Amino acid sequence: MSKRARDDDDDHHHHEESHSHQKRMRLTFHDHLSTLSDELILRTLSYLPLSDRITCLRLSHRLQSLADDPQLWKAAYYSRFVRPRASRIPGLRGHDTSVKALHYSSKLSKWLEDDHLVRRGKKTNWKRQYKLRHNWSIGSCNVSQTTVAEQASIPPLLVRLYENIIFTADSTEGLRVLSMNGEPIILATLPFTVETKSQALSPKPTSLAVDASTSDGNAIGVAVGFANGGFGVYKFDKRKSALALLYQHAPSSNGTVSAIAYVSPYILTMTEAQLLSLYMFPHTPPYRSLSDKHTVVAPHLVSSLKSHTAWPPLSLSIRASSASVSASIAYAMPTYLDGWSVGMQEMLLTPEGRVMESRLASAETQGFHSLSTDSGGSRSPSWNSRAPSSSVRNRPYVETSDYRSRPTSLSYTHPYLLAAHADNTLTVYLVTSTARELAIGPGRRLWGHTSSVASAHVGDRGKAVSVSKRGNELRVWELEGVTISQASRRRSAIGADAERSIQVRPETKADSARKAPQQVTEVQSRYKDEDMVVTKGWVAFDEEKVVVLREEQKGAQALVVYDFT
Amino acid sequence: MSAPSMIKLQSSDAAEITVEREIAERSVLIKNMMEDVGEQAFSEAIPIPNVNEAVLNKVIEWCTHHRADPPSTNDDDSDSRKKTTDIEEWDQKFMQVDQEMLFEIILAANYLDIKPLLDVGCKTVANMIKGKSPEEIRKTFNIQNDFTPEEEDQIRRENEWAEDR
Repeated sequence: MSKRARDDDDDHHHHEESHSHQKRMRLTFHDHLSTLSDELILRTLSYLPLSDRITCLRLSHRLQSLADDPQLWKAAYYSRFVRPRASRIPGLRGHDTSVKALHYSSKLSKWLEDDHLVRRGKKTNWKRQYKLRHNWSIGSCNVSQTTVAEQASIPPLLVRLYENIIFTADSTEGLRVLSMNGEPIILATLPFTVETKSQALSPKPTSLAVDASTSDGNAIGVAVGFANGGFGVYKFDKRKSALALLYQHAPSSNGTVSAIAYVSPYILTMTEAQLLSLYMFPHTPPYRSLSDKHTVVAPHLVSSLKSHTAWPPLSLSIRASSASVSASIAYAMPTYLDGWSVGMQEMLLTPEGRVMESRLASAETQGFHSLSTDSGGSRSPSWNSRAPSSSVRNRPYVETSDYRSRPTSLSYTHPYLLAAHADNTLTVYLVTSTARELAIGPGRRLWGHTSSVASAHVGDRGKAVSVSKRGNELRVWELEGVTISQASRRRSAIGADAERSIQVRPETKADSARKAPQQVTEVQSRYKDEDMVVTKGWVAFDEEKVVVLREEQKGAQALVVYDFT
Repeated sequence: MSAPSMIKLQSSDAAEITVEREIAERSVLIKNMMEDVGEQAFSEAIPIPNVNEAVLNKVIEWCTHHRADPPSTNDDDSDSRKKTTDIEEWDQKFMQVDQEMLFEIILAANYLDIKPLLDVGCKTVANMIKGKSPEEIRKTFNIQNDFTPEEEDQIRRENEWAEDR
């Protein structure tokens, strides 16, 4: 009986064979998932990890558009790049940092420094942002190289990168602006000339600064310091792609302007004669009116400080808030026992330009012994040392044979001060600047590079990029969390530094879509070229790209662009 | 202790189901209706036009088991829903139904506004997607592939970076 039944079933099955395909579609295997509303499918997709959501993109047109929903990317961005930071920062602005409070939210305050992405009215391409941060985190990028000067320029070419625009300055070409969208295109050029009674001279540019405070306008302010002690203020009009001189400061006898910072309306300069000067324009230079370029009123000198201890490399910085303005210089400083350390001087001003305070700080040096416990503080009476002795006592890592050579480069973006060393390491210091005190925390060594570090640069959110002398090793660092507290430092395993930095590896996957494969291979073959040297160890980056200036032996200078988009 | 107040629900296929009011009010839709209608709700059956008897019984089974759960925050913005596909054991067993019933439960939970049940349903579907290849997912749900092989390959390449972690 049972056999019979099975036979019947088989017969039945065979009988149905010819119709089975049609029948399946209609009855047995109805596509239930696609009957759900967009909202319900999105809800389902929100429970999937990224890798599975990516798979869903390939299912059908409808699922592709749903799985690529900006809100899903936004949530992914938050949970991978914002939330981990929020839980890492202790006592975050007094917020409730319990687990529940850290759940994804569209509330602005939960986004930390990424809040610019969430502002009302701002359209953010969340997938693009996610990919950008992802690529930074794994060091994945495309590399291209552009020769910017056929011959060596003396002094060397200066380069800054800001919002996909590269600014370069050298004595032969003057100030140049290059667009980095795709292949570099020169947008504008303006030669440096000084008109004297007899002849027109080309002053040598020695420092370059881009004003990052003008981001929402259509113009970008640029300041250039010259070997003759003068400086110029320029504006680049984005719509017209035009450069214009706004103001030219007369040459002075104080020597080469070795460093310059510009945050409108303030200009901070450091000269070779170790004179630090802060200038202020009477009102914001009129970026918008290009025509009346000579009407900019000369700035007045707010304050000037003479230093005897500030050695290069230097890093100038201006931070302006509604309540006060802070102009600071970070510099290398020789110490008696440990070799070189770092120091800082900071001027606090009212927004109107009245100096409220000027104060000094120097780094607590690791390896200092009782003999000179507070020698860092005694150098400056205004240095407010909270408890240098206790920090010496509790110091977890005593590196006695840690004689430090002079840093090869310094970069300060509050609150991180980063020094690069020739001995393959970097040191990061956490700077505390409050109304009451200025202090530089104990340095923390960062290991990772396998050759001499030529240059390092700190950007927003504690992201830093460093490049080795030969330019063949580029590393991306997350400084946040490195310097937070002694306790967390102790908790982190020794040797964890390597995990904090990612070596950038240019895109080499054969099947990946890239624009100029031949260019990439060219750059890679050049990596092996021992003649390539990073000029003055120069590196800079913005949200999307890193630019390294390299010099070939013949003297030609090339910009190497690492594109993380 | 007074007897629990009972109400009647009428499914789309005209079946009347008697259920404790407290259990039925796991549904925000029914809860709101009770507030609007008042005492009348005890004399007449509440029509649930989008849900058939079998599904409604299944939903009531879930509500009965979860009658003592703390009320969920219906605040999608704070999003305290756990971003995992962990499902408690009872719910997993509860969801061992055929696909048609699974999706009917999701639709009913959405219509009746029972967020925790909706989440269990969506998580169950998410778990059916997890770790599978596109072809396996299409087979699981019988999704019609409306891409050309070239298109699909292009999407794969464009999003390859996201798998690299």
